[in-house]
Amino acid sequence: MPATDYQGTSSAPFANIGRSIMSLRRDQVHVHSMEGSHDGAGHEVELEAFQKQVADMFQSLLAAAASASANDELLSLSWIRKLLDSFLSCQEEFRVLLYNKSQLLRPPMDRLIADFNERSVKALDVCNAIRDGIEQIRQWEKLLEIVLCALDNKNQRALGEGQFRRAKKALVDLAIGMLDDKDSGQTLANRNRSFGRNKDHHHRSVGHFRSLSWSVSRSWSAARQLQSIGSNLAAPRTNDIVASNGFAVPVYTMGSVLLFVMWTLVAAIPCQDRGLQVHFNIPRHFAWAAPLNTLHERILEESKKRERKNACGLLKEIYQMEKCSRLLSELADSVQFPLTEEKEVEVRQRVKELAQVCETIKEGLDPLERQVREVFHRIVRGRTEGLDSLGRGHNPE
Amino acid sequence: MELPESNSTGDDKSVGFEAAKKIILRWDSTASEDAKEKMIFESDRQEADLYLQAVDEIQRSLSNASLSDDRSKATTIQIAMARLEDEFRNILITNTAALESESLTDPTSSSSVHSHLSSRSSNFEPEEEFILNTEKLLELEHCESADSSRGRSTSSIREMDLMPPEAICDLHAIAMRMISAGYLRECVQVYGSVRKSAVDSSFRKLGIEKLSIGDIQRLAWEALEGKIRRWIRAARVCVRILFPSEKRLCEQIFVGVGTSIDDDCFMETVKGPAVQLFNFAEAISISRRLPEKLFKILDVHDALMDLQPDIEVVFDSKSSDSIRVQAAEILSRLAEAVRGTLTEFENAVLREPSGPVPVGTIHPLTRYVMNYIGLISDYKQTLIELIMSKPSTGSRYSGDPTTPDMDFAELEGKTPLALHLIWIIVILEFNLERKSKQYRDASLGHLFIMNNIRYIVQKIKGSPELREMIGDDYLRKLTGKVRHAATNYQRATWVTVLYCLRDEGLHVSGSFSSGVSKSALRERFKTFNAMFEEVHRTQASWIVPDTQLREELRISISEKLIPAYRSFLGRFRSHIESGRHPENYIKYTVEDLETAVLDFFEGCVVSQHLRRRSQ
Repeated sequence: MPATDYQGTSSAPFANIGRSIMSLRRDQVHVHSMEGSHDGAGHEVELEAFQKQVADMFQSLLAAAASASANDELLSLSWIRKLLDSFLSCQEEFRVLLYNKSQLLRPPMDRLIADFNERSVKALDVCNAIRDGIEQIRQWEKLLEIVLCALDNKNQRALGEGQFRRAKKALVDLAIGMLDDKDSGQTLANRNRSFGRNKDHHHRSVGHFRSLSWSVSRSWSAARQLQSIGSNLAAPRTNDIVASNGFAVPVYTMGSVLLFVMWTLVAAIPCQDRGLQVHFNIPRHFAWAAPLNTLHERILEESKKRERKNACGLLKEIYQMEKCSRLLSELADSVQFPLTEEKEVEVRQRVKELAQVCETIKEGLDPLERQVREVFHRIVRGRTEGLDSLGRGHNPE
Repeated sequence: MELPESNSTGDDKSVGFEAAKKIILRWDSTASEDAKEKMIFESDRQEADLYLQAVDEIQRSLSNASLSDDRSKATTIQIAMARLEDEFRNILITNTAALESESLTDPTSSSSVHSHLSSRSSNFEPEEEFILNTEKLLELEHCESADSSRGRSTSSIREMDLMPPEAICDLHAIAMRMISAGYLRECVQVYGSVRKSAVDSSFRKLGIEKLSIGDIQRLAWEALEGKIRRWIRAARVCVRILFPSEKRLCEQIFVGVGTSIDDDCFMETVKGPAVQLFNFAEAISISRRLPEKLFKILDVHDALMDLQPDIEVVFDSKSSDSIRVQAAEILSRLAEAVRGTLTEFENAVLREPSGPVPVGTIHPLTRYVMNYIGLISDYKQTLIELIMSKPSTGSRYSGDPTTPDMDFAELEGKTPLALHLIWIIVILEFNLERKSKQYRDASLGHLFIMNNIRYIVQKIKGSPELREMIGDDYLRKLTGKVRHAATNYQRATWVTVLYCLRDEGLHVSGSFSSGVSKSALRERFKTFNAMFEEVHRTQASWIVPDTQLREELRISISEKLIPAYRSFLGRFRSHIESGRHPENYIKYTVEDLETAVLDFFEGCVVSQHLRRRSQ
């Protein structure tokens, strides 16, 4: 859904129901929610359906991640986009589920919904930070385009020292740019020395890149934000479940889904102070607990792998960029001129791989950014509706 | 400028090429310390020209040459491009300074600050817990731009010279070479990174901060108000001066080198900062809907609305779509926020739980609401367009005792905004009624209503815009309520007092020497005196702030009291004076009473006993 699809003001609540599996049940939902405060069995079906949908969503994400085809690998651009897509439809179901339910105005739901809204607002800042991160990746991709341009052999002229120097320059910039914030100081100095470049000028431009790219203050921390989203996120107690006719459960569920999605985004995309220490203490009996936990473990595993420990983002394409550019860099360092047939083949191979990565990134980043923005919009809309309905139904003391 | 002849070969081309190559190699910063230290374009003009010519020469020969030469030429070009990139960066950095503060003022607006305080609440007890923050509201200002005309967009854009023309010339010359050698990307990248830092420093000078949505949620209201003011000023400067100036610089440097390159550079420079700028407005539109925020949100909305045409002009390329879209989204969210805040205000007025005020005077809630409404009418131009639907609560006869009723059928033809204003007054009345019932003395309750509704009426009459929106029909209704409350008050207080002065029950029937029961008469006088004294003592401390109303009420009291007393005295004084201690019963003359009435509603404590002129 393109970002411009957002209709701010008075769109009917059911306007985006296209994806909703509840659309078939719409009449049923309507009838039941028009009842008074004593809603009984009618809601169990909806509540179960929601739980199932969430479980299915995680299962399919898990399956995609495990699939043999490279396309939907865990933490690849297309997998992340799948994740966000699922999140959006989940959220839509959640909205429909809660629409016009009188429970929302009574304890404990009023408190639980207020909590959920607070969590959602915190997720907004994560969305904004992720947009920054996407921009960063774009900048790296642009550097890679220079490399491709330099080593592009289209006019069949033999690659010479000049092209390699050009490519090397860009590769060095990229390597520095991709350094995780905390490492940048020492390694920067090393790299500069080894390439004999004009230290000051170089440092100034690349260093600028980093600090200017974050639109948040130095003190903002993705890790802290995630902690904040997850704070007090606990499975509802039995008396809350009973008092809310079961609706406390989807609120908890949605909160967990929100936390997971935000956590995954932070894991994948570069942002300021990426800390991944978030715990999901989800009771086993939830059908979606197992697949969510599995995904969580696998992503954590990925983050601990030797070659990814200092990555500034676990996105698969970032790893590919880093690997390809490193290999090319080594190659560039090792070549003698004129190039041997063998070397030429190798270079062409690496360039081809690199071109592939760039292509994937170019195709995938813009849609990803739009999706993140859409998530932002939906969260805002959900909250606004929540606030409005609370205001409307409020009884004076 | 001619290239120096360095060898004697006849072939012009090869002479040119060799010389050119020499020049380029001489300036290879990876090869010599000297080359690293100095900058070509900081040395004299000749050096720079020579270098550029050398580059041109290499380029030319690259397209003509045989394959075998290519590699060394390609290397030479690369060395030249690397050098040019450094020169480019250096010229940019040297000539980049954040805009001076004086240039960062928006000449098209002057903020005229109107203070819309009608009166400060002098009776406001700080202990009374208020949902609505009166003090905040009483300090509200309305910043208007002197010529806030929506149509005159292009005239409000003012581009400034960001660099001396020689620098621009050099940059252009370098850019040309880099682009024709296929080094466009490097050029754009360097340009973007340096100019972005310049924009960043300008942002800091303008006081634009990197605040997250969470930061803004946590800010106290006063702090946020200040930031909003600053943001509005900064946004005007950015959209009308800073960004257009950057755009022009791009156009000047990248003129004639192909389509959309200047656009790309402009976006490289400005996209991040623009998004950051708008993020603030977005955060405002998302924040909690507290009533006192309404007017500041409106200010942000109006400022952004005002800037829309300029945003369209500055960000007119395809690559800047996302910025235009975001600005439009934010504008619509701000509009939503306005609506939501107004609703929240209405709810807050309905819910406001404080008790009545002592001595029946104007309640702080009344002042607050009327102030608020006054400000609403100031912002009428915008609000009339934003408020599109009727008030949602109580639009039917719901039978719900906790919300008032309002019959919209009677109010056909009124704008939704006007309906909201009337609704707000309806809610206010409803709340005041609730408070008035908490007085132990019912008379005071009526006085309270009378005073407060009178205040509302006077406020409406005092503002032509308000009056026009609310309409004379409703105004008449309100005026009627004032009268009705006054009548209720009189009935509540005076019926029993005047009851003492009635005729019946005093005459003893029977024998035709129609007698008057002296004991009953004495009782009457005693009761009247006691009652009157009590009423006088109590109600002298009550307040009717409106002078005219106060006078009218006193006159109305006198009109009933004085003739009744006079006639009573006239008919029965002889009976008392013929008995013992008449002074115990006829304590007051008519004049005494007339004087006493003047004490009513003065808000003073009077001495225990009424003055007795006649003694």
